[in-house]
Amino acid sequence: MNLRRFLLRKAAYVLLTVFFIAALNFFIFQILPGDPTRVLLPRGGTSQMGSETLRQELLHQWGLDQPLTTRFLIYLRNLFQGNFGTSITYRPGISAMDVIAPRLTTTLVLVGVATVLTMWMGVVLGRVSGWRRGRRTDVIITMTSLFGYSMPSFWVSLVLIFFLAVEVNVFPVHGETSLGYGTLDPVSQLLDRLYHLALPVLTFAITNVAWFSMTLRNSLTDVLPEDYMLTAAAKGLTEDQQLRRHALPNARLPVVTAAAIYFGWVVSGAIVIEVVFDFQGLGKLTWDATRALDFPLMSAIFFIATLGVVVANAISDILYMYLDPRVREA
Amino acid sequence: MNIAAGVGQARELSILREKVLNDLDRLQIFLRQLFRNRLAFAGAVIILVFFAMSIFAPLIAGPYPTPVQGAATLDPPSNAHILGTDYQGRDIFTLLVYGGRISLLIGFSASAVAMVLGTLVGLIGGFYGRITDQVLARATDFFLVIPWLPFAIVLSLVMGPSLQTTIIAIAVVSWPTTARVIRSQVLTVKERLFIERARAVGAGTPYIIWRHVLPNVMPLVWAEAVLTISNAVFTEAFLSFFGLGPPPGAGAIVSWGTMVNQAYTSLALISNPPMWWYFLPPGLAITLVVLGFAMVGFGLEDVVNPRLRRR
Repeated sequence: MNLRRFLLRKAAYVLLTVFFIAALNFFIFQILPGDPTRVLLPRGGTSQMGSETLRQELLHQWGLDQPLTTRFLIYLRNLFQGNFGTSITYRPGISAMDVIAPRLTTTLVLVGVATVLTMWMGVVLGRVSGWRRGRRTDVIITMTSLFGYSMPSFWVSLVLIFFLAVEVNVFPVHGETSLGYGTLDPVSQLLDRLYHLALPVLTFAITNVAWFSMTLRNSLTDVLPEDYMLTAAAKGLTEDQQLRRHALPNARLPVVTAAAIYFGWVVSGAIVIEVVFDFQGLGKLTWDATRALDFPLMSAIFFIATLGVVVANAISDILYMYLDPRVREA
Repeated sequence: MNIAAGVGQARELSILREKVLNDLDRLQIFLRQLFRNRLAFAGAVIILVFFAMSIFAPLIAGPYPTPVQGAATLDPPSNAHILGTDYQGRDIFTLLVYGGRISLLIGFSASAVAMVLGTLVGLIGGFYGRITDQVLARATDFFLVIPWLPFAIVLSLVMGPSLQTTIIAIAVVSWPTTARVIRSQVLTVKERLFIERARAVGAGTPYIIWRHVLPNVMPLVWAEAVLTISNAVFTEAFLSFFGLGPPPGAGAIVSWGTMVNQAYTSLALISNPPMWWYFLPPGLAITLVVLGFAMVGFGLEDVVNPRLRRR
């Protein structure tokens, strides 16, 4: 397929999906009973000075006196302008996007570091597992990673805190930085941050390493029976050489795309871990918004979370196209 | 005349006998394959243990405990309470034994709903093809990108946390995977000769789907169902930990996820000494049930989908 046509089709598909997400996001919150301004106004807003003006402003901004279809169009227009609504629990009148944006960095750093480490572990384990498929090493690795995959991350983080921060005081119980963080020099600050990242990242790795190790294991299984692997062995290459030069380059592709897809689940993955470790990221924000019944904020977070998955999937498809010469040149 | 009828009857009987034997044979081969698969066997054992535990909960741990006024709360393990008591003074071991009921109930119901939806969409899209398939495949893709946890949270927020909400939320995010798997299987089944024969004899499309396509994809549906139960138990745990699962009202059974949440909010971790007996067991129970169903699911997939079978 022509590359440009492929990209165009992908873009059109992404746009269509985003439209549907917006629609779902809009209509799902229409199920809410009662006066819509009730959920749009800051808590206790009626008793505040100027809240009536804010109410009128909101009514106008969201066209709440208009029919449903008009409201949907207004909603789409606001979305298009980057207006995701107004948080009701944070400062009155602050836009949801302003609440979310600073949180996003924390989450991206956390999930970024975690993904890199988890992927590395997955490749190391999956390589051994795939090469020794069916043998004892493979069974042990597969069972262990599957066990990790079955553990709910909130529980894993509690267990890790219990063993590594409470029983044996090696790591901090929670938080992103130590108390005297501000007085440290930049290098110590970086180390301090990494130190605090250790347990959350470990939680990620334990619960998700199977995602990568199993992907590589299965794709290695597809590659190993190929003729060129027999040739490599017949040439007298060592096992390591066969694996490195001939098997891995062909089996690596699915892992790369798996990583892209995986990164799209940023918010889902981060919610619980950020809550338990008290990281002020998007996940913690989701928890707080849920607790406070901040519907506009939840709606905005949900939209962004879904958008992340869509974009990650598209990137994964494009990466696949780009990295696989067979697809690229076909 | 009589003899002819007798012969006909005998032949019919022998055909029926052959069919039954055939089916039994296939079942036996299937079961043998499944049990030879040690992964699936171990998983089945785990599941059976938890099933027995949930069914015989009153025999194992006595009646379901109610919060006791003035009872000792957050007690460490003792002879009377082998896992101590929770923040309301209830015996944690008893809560643990009963908790499986909620997980299994939600797992099975959500999976059932997801299977009906996913199989229907997969069958119709795969068999009818063309524009129907296009529309259904797009819808499937769309639901596939919805991040499960935020969606379940939003739905629970909007509809109010309840057993039904939890089941619906899980089913809505679970069916697309099944629809995809079933659809691709239908695509190969519908090219087979017996479909053409059925059509030649004059069978209508719904009849063909129901009588010829569905039975051929059914094994795959079972495999998907078991995997979905695993996911559903997992999702329920997260929702409950978030306090968005079925509300723990008076006398309502507390799920394992809720137990971990209550341990967490009772500061089980940072109290002195840390109450490991409060949060470790329910989490381990969740893990084992999820793992058990996943193992059986993978094993089933191995058996029914030869493409995935071990080389």
